[in-house]
Amino acid sequence: MDDEIKNDLSGQEKPTEVSETDKVKAQAQEYLDNWKRERADFLNYKKDETKRLGEFVKFANKAVILEAIDILDDLERAEKEINNPGLNQIVAKFHNLLKIFEVERISTEGVFDPLLHEAVEGTGGDKLEEVRAGYTMHGKVIRPARVKLTK
Amino acid sequence: MAKILGIDLGTTNSAMAVVEVGQPRILENKEGMRTTPSVVAMGKNGERYVGVTAKRQAVTNPANTIFSVKRLIGRRFKDDEVQRDKKLLPYEIREASNGGVEVKMGDKWHKPEEISAMILQKLKADAEDRLGEKITEAIITVPAYFDDSQRKATKDAGEIAGLTVKRVINEPTAAALAYGLNKKKDEKVVVYDFGGGTFDISVLEIGDDTIEVKATGGDTHLGGDDIDQKIIGYLINEFKKDQGVDVSKDQLAIQRLKDAAEKAKHELSSTLQTEVNVPFLTADASGPKHFSMAFTRAKLEELVGDLVTRSIELTKKTLDEAGFKTGDINEIILVGGQTRMPLIVEEVKKLFGKEPHKDINPDEVVALGAAVQGGIMQGEIRDVLLLDVTPLSLGIETLGQVFTKMIEKNTTVPVSKTQIFSTAADNQPSVEIHILQGERAMAHDNKTLGRFILDGVPPAPRGVPQVEVSFDIDANGILHVKAKDKATGKEQSIKIEGSSGLSEDEKKRMTADAEKHAAEDAKKKELAETRNLGETLAYTTEKMVKENEAPDAPAGAGKIKEDDKKELNDKIEKVRSALKSDDLGEIKKQTEELSKSAQRVGGELYKQTPSAEASGPKQEEPKEEPKY
Repeated sequence: MDDEIKNDLSGQEKPTEVSETDKVKAQAQEYLDNWKRERADFLNYKKDETKRLGEFVKFANKAVILEAIDILDDLERAEKEINNPGLNQIVAKFHNLLKIFEVERISTEGVFDPLLHEAVEGTGGDKLEEVRAGYTMHGKVIRPARVKLTK
Repeated sequence: MAKILGIDLGTTNSAMAVVEVGQPRILENKEGMRTTPSVVAMGKNGERYVGVTAKRQAVTNPANTIFSVKRLIGRRFKDDEVQRDKKLLPYEIREASNGGVEVKMGDKWHKPEEISAMILQKLKADAEDRLGEKITEAIITVPAYFDDSQRKATKDAGEIAGLTVKRVINEPTAAALAYGLNKKKDEKVVVYDFGGGTFDISVLEIGDDTIEVKATGGDTHLGGDDIDQKIIGYLINEFKKDQGVDVSKDQLAIQRLKDAAEKAKHELSSTLQTEVNVPFLTADASGPKHFSMAFTRAKLEELVGDLVTRSIELTKKTLDEAGFKTGDINEIILVGGQTRMPLIVEEVKKLFGKEPHKDINPDEVVALGAAVQGGIMQGEIRDVLLLDVTPLSLGIETLGQVFTKMIEKNTTVPVSKTQIFSTAADNQPSVEIHILQGERAMAHDNKTLGRFILDGVPPAPRGVPQVEVSFDIDANGILHVKAKDKATGKEQSIKIEGSSGLSEDEKKRMTADAEKHAAEDAKKKELAETRNLGETLAYTTEKMVKENEAPDAPAGAGKIKEDDKKELNDKIEKVRSALKSDDLGEIKKQTEELSKSAQRVGGELYKQTPSAEASGPKQEEPKEEPKY
């Protein structure tokens, strides 16, 4: 062990003069490395950005759809209160529109799933009662279904 | 190099960010959200929920849903804070064997740091998913008032989650970093953080390489939730007054009012009045009841004014404790979603007499700052500190005194841009390059940086010569402008130093000027452009008439009828006389008239050309309109 250290030290004892050229060379290498890293970072960022943009375009209508769904909720509430064929037609049209944008209603059959449902009332039972419809867009939840858990 | 994750581990919500290409960026979680609720739960079958899923099941499982654990982390069970929160929190809390706190979730008792670790674990996993790489290191933020034990417990939470916590930094410090204030020297900064459940005020002093917390204050039980409660309470009362029905016990109705209150609150940040419409809110014997009400910003401010006043009083108190006066403060940063409320911005501005920083999303600024700290530690931010941006747009004057931008404001330098321009008159022997800086649409409203003339342009009709103008700003901020005649290769250039050396005031003034005059400038620019169009059309039509006049019409050209010639000349005259005025409508009208006639006559001439069909129209390279 000691020998190794000695050897190391003896190696260092030799006068190692770093010439100006070497210094500049090392600096140039450092700059080149930094530049390459920067380029790589940028290209990767661009790739990520393209991916993000794709996702963004896919969900660009989300905010408008959410507002529309809010109105659809009210129309459906009205439909329950007032049985009117015209109104039923409007609601059906609305649902067709959502289908075109790949917006689908979340089922509230079966068991409570916090990935799809949001509980607003009830601690006892496990039967779901929908109080506000939930929707997915391109398979992603854009608004969870609000449910009441009853016995 | 693996990235360091910046984490804002909040009481209500958490957020995370990383530095990419020298800039911090928020990472969305698996659910696609930019913030994650700081909630953990254990389901009936022992399944663990973290974040939004835990929040969604909370009402069905309150005893096993742990939220606000940040209020407990690193504290002693006997602390007043813990005793107070114990009464408010629906889950079980007990004293740990070491005098600390334990919370019950499922059958097991957990330390608060274990619960925080579950949140951090989710953030880590979601970040890895987003980035496609392993995350092992993190910077976590804590309130400035956290003591050693609370900081240590937060660090432990990170380690439990499998992260090497490179540093635990103060939330206000992170906010200052996000705004790049660490680069300033000897400044005093106030961070006003109105979060969902807590209000924190911090006074920082920025030294040479340090950001020191001089004082902290606030109220751990004052936040946006209190504001929401006030609005909901008001809506319930209004409904009762209007319809005579009390919905304060109806959970479903309250939920709908809560949604409406939140929406109204957001809308009133940008408008002065909104409508709250909740049809079919409830029903009684007489039928369904609807809620409809106009809600003004003034009313909202009246409702929550006392909460905002309280926050301002606390700010004053903290300043006093720090030994500072409001006039000593150089910068104010707004943090927390609630600070989007215009009333808060106004009150803060009134108190300090200056505009607070609010450009960065106040829900994300702390996480972004944590990422910046990670970037600095990794050396990634180093380059950002060196790279400057152009404070104002740079460009040249073109035909009609229009300012044509070559490099837009806020472009990172070094940068270079090239564009081809042409001449405005036939046989124009030279072009003048007038270099300007500013945001106004017309050249003379901007600042002249320099001028030069490129001469020796060979005689040619207007629009034909191609002059390539290039702007290049090097890393030292020196602007090189070059103009080159593509036909002769002749070039001329100028070097302008200090194009970015504007004082902060000058920059602000010029930007504000541009905003103030935006509408009027747009009109002037439209007039200039319409004029250019009119002039060009008059010129080309005149040329067409001349070229098709017998007897020396060029080969293949048709012969123009006398009637047509007269019609075109009349209309050219009308355009030119309209051009003498500043009447935009008239210039447009006459130009349009001329354009219609010119197209008709041009079409007829084209039909007369014998070789027209065989050879087809000669496609010319698209060229910039003559600009000089």
